[in-house]
Amino acid sequence: MARVFNWQLGREMSYWYPESRPKRQFAAVFDINKCIACQTCTLACKTTWTSGKGQEYMLWNNVESKPYGCYPLAWDLKLMEMLDGQNWEGRRYDGRTLFESAPAGERVNGWRPESQDYAYPNVGEDDCTGQVDKGASLMTPHMNWFFYLARICNHCTYPACLSSCARGSIYKRPEDGIVLVDQQRCRGYQDCVKGCPYKKIFFNPMTGTSEKCIACYPKVEQGVQPQCFENCIGKIRLGGWISRPEQARADNPIDYLVHIRKIALPLFPQFGLEPNVYYIPPINVPPAYLTQMFGPGVEQAVAAYKSAATDKDLAGLLCLFGSTERIVTRWSRQGDIVTGTEENGSVVMRVPLNEPVHVRPAYDRLYQIARVNCP
Amino acid sequence: MKLISYSLLAAGMLITAGCSREPKRVNEVVAIPAAAIPSAPGDSVWDRAPEHAAKLLLQDLVEPRLMEPSTTEVRVRAVRTPSQIAFRLDWNDATLDEMAKPGMFVDGCAIQLPKANNGQAPDPQMGQQGQTVEITFWRADWQAAVNGRAPTKIQDFYPNATIDHYPSEAKSLEPGSAKQKEMERLYSPARALGNLRSGPRESAVEEMIAEGPGTLSRAAASNNSKGNGTRTKTGWQVVISRAAPQGLAPRQRSQIAFAVWEGSHKEVGARKMRTGWIPLLLEESPK
Repeated sequence: MARVFNWQLGREMSYWYPESRPKRQFAAVFDINKCIACQTCTLACKTTWTSGKGQEYMLWNNVESKPYGCYPLAWDLKLMEMLDGQNWEGRRYDGRTLFESAPAGERVNGWRPESQDYAYPNVGEDDCTGQVDKGASLMTPHMNWFFYLARICNHCTYPACLSSCARGSIYKRPEDGIVLVDQQRCRGYQDCVKGCPYKKIFFNPMTGTSEKCIACYPKVEQGVQPQCFENCIGKIRLGGWISRPEQARADNPIDYLVHIRKIALPLFPQFGLEPNVYYIPPINVPPAYLTQMFGPGVEQAVAAYKSAATDKDLAGLLCLFGSTERIVTRWSRQGDIVTGTEENGSVVMRVPLNEPVHVRPAYDRLYQIARVNCP
Repeated sequence: MKLISYSLLAAGMLITAGCSREPKRVNEVVAIPAAAIPSAPGDSVWDRAPEHAAKLLLQDLVEPRLMEPSTTEVRVRAVRTPSQIAFRLDWNDATLDEMAKPGMFVDGCAIQLPKANNGQAPDPQMGQQGQTVEITFWRADWQAAVNGRAPTKIQDFYPNATIDHYPSEAKSLEPGSAKQKEMERLYSPARALGNLRSGPRESAVEEMIAEGPGTLSRAAASNNSKGNGTRTKTGWQVVISRAAPQGLAPRQRSQIAFAVWEGSHKEVGARKMRTGWIPLLLEESPK
């Protein structure tokens, strides 16, 4: 194995291949606080990419209700059990990654889901509430909280699917960092399915090959955000390009949220894959749980997010989420107006920090009629 | 006296049945001459061929490795004509695994010969750069498809699944029409790109070449490989035939290697039991 630097762990780690970062890396920030689990993202992806035979139970995008919801079954719980001693010393990870803890004969420490593990997407989604008899109190192992976790492939800097494939059928595009399966070369060994801890690569039993989220690369190549981003009615997603921490730019929306304000965090950074989808953690969830899921920056991230009400820059940038289908590569704020621009400098949109409010009286004197709110 | 009579009778029955005769054991693979290549594992020609019991080893060269042994031995017989050679592989396998699913794998076997017979054997595990090996790979699921098993459908994995709509079966598409078939192809990405792994399946074997681990790829030129496997009471009997080794005359030796995958043991790809090189002798026709 080679030694590579993983900035999310604050240290070098072992990986199957030497460090080779793409010219630029596709990345995203998901604001969990805004997700309502409407699954519009799931359907947008499903109808676009996985409506063929053999893809019926394949969800490249899914939304699961935490802490109990999961797809495939118990994907995260199994990994928590497999990775012992996930300790952080400040911002440095002291435990072993999935590469460093690989058993003899394996490239990655992984597990294999079987058909039934995909059979119940988001089983347990309602377990945080449930029926309560009159007069009884609700007893669950957790405090009564939950949140929705939307997941796609993380297009990791150090993909475990890629390193698991002894045939080299998976590649990371040097131009944008998107991770793809070569459908001509794949022979369906399923080592990638075993290796990917996020379980975002799937075996298609009809074609006999593995398939995965392609970050809608035909759209990204045109400067447009993926389907699950564009169709998100909660406007929780922002797609773009992330720089290395030492090259972070304040006018790059993703850099600003991840590197500068540090309010968006990677999912299970301790796995060691340097995933490139970042989450603004939910503010209503106990920090201990969130720290296990998003690493040691959780409390700082939640505090920064809560400060957005008085922080015009942060509030302004959060206004850009879902405001355009285009990929915004630069942003700026002048007064109460936030501007997003594309790579060529053209302005994509301008949004106000506060939408103008119009109050219409209930009774319209001009037409002498009472107004009603139509459903 | 009565005992002797019964013994003679029993011996006579065995000879008549012609199926229980113990094969001649040899310590290399010996291909005997035959008038034609038998495609069926039960063909009587195989009874004439001597048997080599090849010990199977763990694939332990590259990750992912197989850490626990499964199939320990494959029994091999071989026959040849001037242009073709065939091998019957016989191994014990208690479980029938003939459908690949998430986390589930199929039974299979393969033969491997050096492309060139120039006295320099490539590395036995998938060859080496500049020294190609030719592999013929048989799989139980391909055999099932060739035998007429209906195309896999989602209910094979989820019996209670109901599907509202496949775009490739939209009402506007006449079933079986060129347009409908084209839609079917487009919604099967690997097949649309010509990946033979995705079918349609017309043969139980695949012809491959390799120059080292991880380099397995489709052979550019066919060597007329064919395969036919049947389930026995104890496991599998599979006949794999192909063109005779290039440049190899009768009484000369080449090498051959075998591999066996046990699906229920999660064996796939590099996770396999395999042999090293075994001498392969082309026996001369009787004069």
